[in-house]
Amino acid sequence: MIEVQNLTKCYGRFVALDEVSFSARQGEIVGFLGPNGAGKTTTMRILTGYMPPTEGTARVAGCDIFEDSLEMRRHVGYLPETVRLYRDMTVQGYLRFVAQLRSVDRSSERVAEVLELVGMTDRARSLIRNLSKGMQQRVGLAQAIVHNPEVLILDEPTIGLDPHQVQDLRLLIRDLGQTHTVMLSTHILSEAEQICDRVIILDRGRIVAEDTPDQLRENLNRGGRLFLRVGEHAAPQEVLRVVQAVPGVEKVEAHREGYMVSVRGSIDVRPALAAAVVGHSLELLELRPWATTLEEIFLDLTTRLGQEPGRRRGRSHA
Amino acid sequence: MRSIRIIAHRELSQYFTSPIAYLVAFAILMLTGWQFNVDLAQRAGSLPPDGTAVLSAFGFFTVFFAPLLTMRLLAEESREGTLELMLTMPVRDGDIVVGKFLGAWFYYTLILCLTLVYQAIWLAITTARAYQLRPELDIGPVISAYIGIWLFGGAALAVGLLFSAITENQVVSGFLGMSALFILWLGDFAGQVIQNRTVAEAVRQLSLQAHYSTSFLIGVIRFEDVVFFIGLIVGTLFITTRLVESRRWR
Repeated sequence: MIEVQNLTKCYGRFVALDEVSFSARQGEIVGFLGPNGAGKTTTMRILTGYMPPTEGTARVAGCDIFEDSLEMRRHVGYLPETVRLYRDMTVQGYLRFVAQLRSVDRSSERVAEVLELVGMTDRARSLIRNLSKGMQQRVGLAQAIVHNPEVLILDEPTIGLDPHQVQDLRLLIRDLGQTHTVMLSTHILSEAEQICDRVIILDRGRIVAEDTPDQLRENLNRGGRLFLRVGEHAAPQEVLRVVQAVPGVEKVEAHREGYMVSVRGSIDVRPALAAAVVGHSLELLELRPWATTLEEIFLDLTTRLGQEPGRRRGRSHA
Repeated sequence: MRSIRIIAHRELSQYFTSPIAYLVAFAILMLTGWQFNVDLAQRAGSLPPDGTAVLSAFGFFTVFFAPLLTMRLLAEESREGTLELMLTMPVRDGDIVVGKFLGAWFYYTLILCLTLVYQAIWLAITTARAYQLRPELDIGPVISAYIGIWLFGGAALAVGLLFSAITENQVVSGFLGMSALFILWLGDFAGQVIQNRTVAEAVRQLSLQAHYSTSFLIGVIRFEDVVFFIGLIVGTLFITTRLVESRRWR
C-alpha cells in the first residue's frame, strides 16, 4: 500500500529527511516514532501530496506520489498535526463539503455514518469554532475517513485529548486498521506500543530501527540487562557489593533511579538476585529486564546515535 | 469543473456568514444610493435621465471594495492552516484559485444586481404618464455599462485575490490590493502628466478606467476592452495559482 524509496527532503540546506525507505502492507498499522524534528511530519506531508520530495520516490495505493498526485490523494485520508478546520462552518456542513470534494456517493448519508463513528452526531449542527480541541480532533478524523480511503495518515492523532478521548481514539484507530492501512506518528511511546503492528523509529531524518514493538524489545534484550530498584535508604556501595556478588552478574552500575545489571551468558539470575537483595534487607522495589518499554529502547537508540557524530548525515554536499 | 463549483459554492456561502461582506454590500449601496439621489435631484425633469451615472460611481467604489471581498480568501487559509488540508484534497491548485475567484465574483454580481433598483426607479419615473420625460431612459448604454462594470469587477477581484495569495495578513493583503487597483485606475490621468504622447497612451491603455469609463459607460462595447478585462482576469489567476503552488516547494 505504501512503498517509500530513498525519500530525501531538504529545506534549503537543512536535510529533514535523508534517504528514508520503508513500506506498509494493507491492514497494517505502522507507527512513526521520533523526537521533535525527526522528519515525521515531513514524511507524512510528502505521502499526502502536500509537498514533493527533493529526491526519491514513493507509491501510495499504487500511485506515484509525484506523477499521479491527484489520483493518489483520492485514496488517502489525512489528519494533520494541528487540525485546522474552517471555523465558520458547521460540523455537518464542513464534512459535506469535504465529502463532495472527494466525490463521495450519497454524501449526506456517509457524513451521518462518519459522525456516528466518531461520536459527534449530537454536535452535527454546531459551529466548528465552538467545539473543544478534542472534538475538533474528532471532526478532523471524520474528514480523513469520510471517503473510506485505503490509506490513512494520521499525524499525532491523540495530541491534546483527554485520557478518555485518547482511549476511544486508539480503539477507533485499531478498528480502522483492520481494513485500512494506517500510518500514524506519535511521540507517546506507549501509544505506539498499544496500537501499532510495526514501529519505525526516526531520528534526525533517518530510520534508526524498524520492527514490531515486541521484536524491538527482544532485540535490545539480547545483551541481557536487568533494571533493579531498591529502597531509598540503601547505600549505593552496599547495593553494588551485594549485586556484584551474585553468581552470573557481570557488571552493575547506577542508572537513573536504580541500577543496571549486566548478566553474563544466558543464565536467569533473577531469583538469585532477588534473594540476595532481600537477604540483605535492601527492600526490593523493582526488578525487570531492561528496555521493556519502547521509551527505553527509544532513549537508547536516539542517545546512542547522538553520541556518534560520524553517523550523522554523511551527505555534506546536501 | 466539479471541484471548482463546490469550492465556489462554499466561498459564496461564507460571504453570507461574514460581517465584512454585508458591510461591503451596505457601504456600496449607501454610496451609490446617495449618488443616485443627487443625480435624480439635479436632473429634476430638466435633463434626460442617465442610468449610467450610478455605475460610474460603482466603478470607483469597486477599486476600494473588491480587495475587501478578496483579502481573506487565501490569506486567511494560509494563516489558519486550513490550506494544508485543502492542498491534500484531490483538487488541482488552479481549481482552488478559480473556485474562490468565482465565489467572490458571484457575490459581487449579487451586489451589482441590487443596483438594478435604481434603473427600475428611472423606468418607473420616465414611463409614468404624469411625468413624461423626453427623451426616455436610454437603455442601451445602461446594458453596456452593466456588462462593463461586471467584467471590471471580475478583474478587480482577480487582482485582489493575487494579493491575498502573497501574504498571510488580511490587512496587508487588502491594502496592497487597493493600492494596486488605485494605481491601475489612475493610469488614465497619466496622459496629463507625461509629455511623451506614445508613453502616455501606452500607460493609459493599461489603466482600468480607459477600458471602462470611455467605452462601456457611454454605450460602446469594444472588443479590445473585453479582451483587456478577461486577459487581466486570466493572467492574474494564473499568477495566483503559481503562488499557491509555490507553497508546496518551500
